[in-house]
Amino acid sequence: MTGSSITLEFENMLDLTGNGSAKTCNGTTRREILQAGTLGSIGLSLPQLLEAEDKGIIKEKDDDRACIMIFNLGGPSQLDTFDMKPNAAAEVRGPFQPINTRGDFQISEIFPKHAEIADKFSLVRSCFHSGAAVHDAGWQMMQTGRLFSGGILTPHAGAVTGYLRGRKTDLPPNVVLPEKMGRGGGNLPNGQSGGFLGKVYDPFELAADPSKPDFKVPDLLPPSSLGQTRLDRRRKMRDLVEDSVSKFETSENAKMLNDNFQAAFRMMTSKQAREAFDLSKEPDKVRQRYGMNRFGQCCLLARRLIEAGVRFVTINTFLTVFDEITWDIHGSAPFTSIEGMKNIVAPMYDQAYSALIADLHDRGMLSKTMVCNLCEFGRTPRVNPAGGRDHWPQCYTVYFAGGGIKGGRAVGASDPIGAVPEDRPVGPAEVIATIFHSLGFDLEMELPGPGGRPFPLVNYGAKPIQELFG
Amino acid sequence: MQTLFYKWAGLNTPMAISPGKTMNSIFSSLLILMTLFGIVREIPSQENETEISPVDNEKVSFRNEVLPVFAKLGCNSGACHGALAGKGGFRLSLRGFDPGADYFNIVKQARGRRIELRDPAKSLLLTKPSGAVSHKGGVRFNVNSPAYKILSTWIAQGAIGPTNADLAITKVQILPGTITSRPGDRQMVKVQAIYSDGSTKDVTRWSKFTSTDETIAKVSEKGEIEVNGFGVGAITAWFDSRIAVASLTIPYANRISPEVFQETPKRNFIDARVVEQLRQLRLQPSPRCDDSTFVRRVFLDAIGILPKPDEVKEFLDDSSPDKRDKLIDALLNRPEFVDLWTYHWSDLLLINGTRLRPNAVKSFYQWVRKHVQNNTPWDRFVHEILTAQGSSLENGATNFYALHQDPQNMAENASQAFLGLSIACAKCHNHPLEKWTNDQYYAFANMFSRVRAKGWGGDGRNGDGKRTLFLATSGELIQPGSGKPQPPAPLDGVPLSFDYQGDRRVPLADWLVDRKNPYFAKAITNRVWAKFFAVGLVDPVDDLRLSNPARNAPLLEEAATFLADHDFDLKALMRVIMRSETYQRSSTAVPGNQLENRYYSRYYPKQLMAEILLDAISETTGVPTEFNQISFPGADNQKTDFYPKGTRALQLYDSAVASYFLKTFGRNQREITCECERTNESSMVQVLHIANGNTLNRKLMEKENRIGKLLESDFTDEDLIRQSYLICLAREPSRKKLDALLLMFAESKDDKRVLLEDLFWSLISSREFMFNH
Repeated sequence: MTGSSITLEFENMLDLTGNGSAKTCNGTTRREILQAGTLGSIGLSLPQLLEAEDKGIIKEKDDDRACIMIFNLGGPSQLDTFDMKPNAAAEVRGPFQPINTRGDFQISEIFPKHAEIADKFSLVRSCFHSGAAVHDAGWQMMQTGRLFSGGILTPHAGAVTGYLRGRKTDLPPNVVLPEKMGRGGGNLPNGQSGGFLGKVYDPFELAADPSKPDFKVPDLLPPSSLGQTRLDRRRKMRDLVEDSVSKFETSENAKMLNDNFQAAFRMMTSKQAREAFDLSKEPDKVRQRYGMNRFGQCCLLARRLIEAGVRFVTINTFLTVFDEITWDIHGSAPFTSIEGMKNIVAPMYDQAYSALIADLHDRGMLSKTMVCNLCEFGRTPRVNPAGGRDHWPQCYTVYFAGGGIKGGRAVGASDPIGAVPEDRPVGPAEVIATIFHSLGFDLEMELPGPGGRPFPLVNYGAKPIQELFG
Repeated sequence: MQTLFYKWAGLNTPMAISPGKTMNSIFSSLLILMTLFGIVREIPSQENETEISPVDNEKVSFRNEVLPVFAKLGCNSGACHGALAGKGGFRLSLRGFDPGADYFNIVKQARGRRIELRDPAKSLLLTKPSGAVSHKGGVRFNVNSPAYKILSTWIAQGAIGPTNADLAITKVQILPGTITSRPGDRQMVKVQAIYSDGSTKDVTRWSKFTSTDETIAKVSEKGEIEVNGFGVGAITAWFDSRIAVASLTIPYANRISPEVFQETPKRNFIDARVVEQLRQLRLQPSPRCDDSTFVRRVFLDAIGILPKPDEVKEFLDDSSPDKRDKLIDALLNRPEFVDLWTYHWSDLLLINGTRLRPNAVKSFYQWVRKHVQNNTPWDRFVHEILTAQGSSLENGATNFYALHQDPQNMAENASQAFLGLSIACAKCHNHPLEKWTNDQYYAFANMFSRVRAKGWGGDGRNGDGKRTLFLATSGELIQPGSGKPQPPAPLDGVPLSFDYQGDRRVPLADWLVDRKNPYFAKAITNRVWAKFFAVGLVDPVDDLRLSNPARNAPLLEEAATFLADHDFDLKALMRVIMRSETYQRSSTAVPGNQLENRYYSRYYPKQLMAEILLDAISETTGVPTEFNQISFPGADNQKTDFYPKGTRALQLYDSAVASYFLKTFGRNQREITCECERTNESSMVQVLHIANGNTLNRKLMEKENRIGKLLESDFTDEDLIRQSYLICLAREPSRKKLDALLLMFAESKDDKRVLLEDLFWSLISSREFMFNH
């Protein structure tokens, strides 16, 4: 039989002039919010910020809070890094030895510099997610707090921050270094965008390697042949000829192009922005301390950007999981083995992270800046025949420093082989809630979701990991 | 939409925060309340139809009743016992695709300790999920639940396994199949399974639901739809590896007189179908665009270049009523048509110099180009690729196989490229979003198992690219699960015998391009449609699975039939598209249609694709771009002499040609068969490149460019400004803009050259230039 059809008739129809869009609880549509000011990577207008403060969404005193998210693409092995099981069978415990630290936990010998600053960061050894064991699924969940479904792309934590806070200086509020994540194998969106908040909240992407001798932000500066007069004229002329507004007002991408021009002009002409990206302003000693490699210099650049007013910096430790040696230690080519991690990945990571934390601390920035080290999953408890470990979202370790975190602790615990959380399981929503809590957001608030419907900032009921704080 | 799979695979993990009892009871009280007030519409069961639940004297079927319980409760999901390694020593096949193995693991494995035939209530299969014995996965059901009743009755009846005599499901459907509703409404749907003996069962309780677009409607675990937006969506239900779809239509809250739709001009079937949907959705169509908009639009979409000022003038001056038709026909016969569409199909076929040697790239490209030039029917084009043999340099089409060198890859990429179907999931288990099973996957891939070539393997960068494709006379692809090959068969097609003597790919290609194949014509129709309309009838454009239906299914059906009726002549399809009023609509919104972006009530502006934009900039400034390097991963560049000066970006063979501009503006990198590799979205990096980068700025400064030529004539300021507008935007400036610009010219002490460079920059960086609209 074929399906019968049920038609429900409307009684109170709006007339044609009604635009039919749903309103948020306070009566504004998302479109109105978007139209209210220049936005985005760009920033909220001042009135919006004030309005947000009025509503208690943002506490004024928290306007100097910031976050650096270090995303460990590939998925480090919990068993060989921060959650060692020295008493487990050889095929579980792996090749490395645990060492004591300045915190009340042990970590792997491959991170000696972490050990020295372990009083500054705290581990969560019972993180898990319930998505598939593919990179992309974990990227979405750990950066947005949710798995995408039903065509709804949830925004990255940095995009939410940009949306709620706007830009503080001439720099964009939300930056990703050195560039956005590449392919993950599942061909799914990677969770590093503005999602349903709109493309204006996508992060500003550096798209360059700051460790290169000739490093500069691509095209940040106008050619020297164009003087100030000409730049001003170009901007004025463009505003003048750019008039087909009615054609483009319904196209988000077209609006975005103009917003991008506004933001680009602001960055190009800002001394502050130029200098923030200029690593040559750092003494050589400082640059060496972070390590003269891509990740090390990204960490240093992140510190400079936060100092200059960026609110959220995401550092991808690697660009993809395919074309370079990453934490993705399957053991077989083109991936590396557990041992390989020790020589290739761990040293640069250990050096840069410890330098970043110490530097933020020395400059008095750590208390206001949360640094969270996340990943898409852990690795299988048992070493595979190739001498590596495979994907394992059921249990892994993430860690936090600064932004109100009390260091030196290990929250939660895994079972004796690091396979499942035994105590205090922590899901992606709680990780994101922890970041937002540190940034001073009211977790009960709602974002303007798809179609203008209210969308909870974090899943209802998700709470920050309170044991980390104070 | 693959995310759906993960949701199913994973939602119910041991540690997931589950709504728990309170939420459930709140939910059911709500349900009762809503039923009382008549908000929830229950679908009455048919007479004689039972729900799946034990009836006293009937045997519980392992296959048809027990396994669906595990699927619905998530026991056999990827995060639980359905994981490849199982969980806690107990493994089930993912969503129950292998009943035999599941039966063995439940009843026989671990010395049968999971089942207590004499005292079913003591079976671990019941005590663990009901919470009597500790279960890492938590309490999944209680002793009074239907799930418990089904499992316990099955055990009490002797835990009988799957047999060949089990009823087979012939169909699963959602009732009602079409729903028209409005925001705020809630409605229950029913899922019905129809079995081989003609009987039906209500399987709503054991089905899994998803909404294809949650901005339009959400659906609960129990099958209750909650409408929360406008437009056309679909609800899919999954039961026992089968998918049923119900379509949802939620009209916009506009009031439009019926005459609007009657009077809207309809040129052909496209307009009839689109206007019919707009009527249902209460969306007013925008009027026709003007001639100057049309000429630019159709040049860019059909042949990828800007019209020259004299071509614009000629068109505008033509007063014949059929001048748009004449222009369309002329464009379809232009040489630039061949450049653009060869480029599109090269994207589809992954012609990429990092994976093929230069000679192979050239030969593959020229093979495609020859066929676009000859307007070879699409079915013959695809048939030739699929059955290609011989030298990679003499028969360029064989390079399709050089890119995909094992039967699984050949099958997956052929299916993705030509049918819009991603079958990769079925490589390991039955496809969660489609009907394809693991058996079908291996049967399909086995059609390619005898394709061999001399010189395959190794790094694609090595050697001379000369490879010879031939067919072995033996060889089968082994299905890992069974350890045996599946009889070679097209998806849903009749299997060949193992001793079939010819090239298996010939019957495969015959089946694939047959007009009776429900996917082939639709896949290419949707691809072509999306190039003109910015968004496919099915979106994403190459994702034609059952659970991602077209927003206007009758239109896709009719357009695909039209193409098949015209012997797969793509130009015929393009012609009917471009002639339609739908394509010729203005991009300016009218009240009530500004919020939609899926139903074609207006033309959607789109940023020019990277290659078209670069060519447009080169043409407008009069300075061609040079292409002389191939870029390999790891910043390793090699020289190429394939592209003489003046070659346009759309004439490149290869996505690996070095170009910061093309990369930044989102060209298709041609690494995987997926339209998603191309992006036409604006970014800050792009804008900074336009403002400060060396592409546009260098062309503007080049002495002998269009600006230099303009200055050679004895033009007044007014002439210069008008000419700049005509060159860049193919139109005259308004009087107001002209006056404002004249003033800027007059007030400046800079010389004309500099002023014109700045004016060109402003015009080229405007949305009117960078978008097709």
